[in-house]
Amino acid sequence: MAELRIPTINRVIIAGRLTRDPELRYTPGGKAVCTVSLAVNRRYKDASGQWQDDTTYINVVCWMKTAELVNRYLHKGSPVLVEGRLESRSWETEAGQKRSVIEIRADRIGFLEKAPGGEAEVDE
Amino acid sequence: MPELKLANLNRAFLIGRLTKDPDVRQTTNGTPVANFSIAINRRFRSPTGEIKEETTYVGIVAWQKLADLCRQYLAKGRAVLVEGKLQNRSWETEDGQKRSTLEVRADRIEFLEREYRAEAPPHQPETGVAAPAAEPYAEPAADNGKSDDDLPF
Repeated sequence: MAELRIPTINRVIIAGRLTRDPELRYTPGGKAVCTVSLAVNRRYKDASGQWQDDTTYINVVCWMKTAELVNRYLHKGSPVLVEGRLESRSWETEAGQKRSVIEIRADRIGFLEKAPGGEAEVDE
Repeated sequence: MPELKLANLNRAFLIGRLTKDPDVRQTTNGTPVANFSIAINRRFRSPTGEIKEETTYVGIVAWQKLADLCRQYLAKGRAVLVEGKLQNRSWETEDGQKRSTLEVRADRIEFLEREYRAEAPPHQPETGVAAPAAEPYAEPAADNGKSDDDLPF
């Protein structure tokens, strides 16, 4: 039998709400890039049987047409489904400290709110 | 029509290699917890047609039996499949600044290599040593980090 090789898998699917309005920018080359911050809630029963909410905050980056649509139709509080991959970025601060962040690079953002004029889903 | 509710969805599937040996400790009440990070490589073609590689580093945390299995079988360079959810981890730096990052809380880790640290001492005489009897494959049941009674091992 032929030897196996390790496949590349980097897949994330989450549903949440925007914690603020989207921020649209353009790269020097003119590509649209939009950043949104999501709150993803999980509800669970604690040891004493009380319902608790546990919220995870996740930054999502999308590009091109998706970025424009996200910026046009979404706002703080909008519910969305995001599918994409994790990306880490690291840099050095002016003081020489190393920093890094992990965010989701979305390749699909589903709009989960019925809104006049809004497309149900945008694929990149 | 009844109102819809937002799906409870937070899932990550990753395959990568450990950047270091896992760091396995016990919490003050004795619960084992393993921390490590994996490197995930992605190859892509740049606009100029060259094949480039980009690496993403993701922190993984595992609890309970899964943490013990990590200690037993994982080491720097090992390939794993991790399934879990994204969560924030925050901490304070020595000079009092708040930082936070995303990590994956694993509820399943599959070891993707057939030779493992525990079964493969470096100078074993060749006496027909078989592959590990059971695939090290772990799936803790509970998400609350408490129950480990009904695990399949």
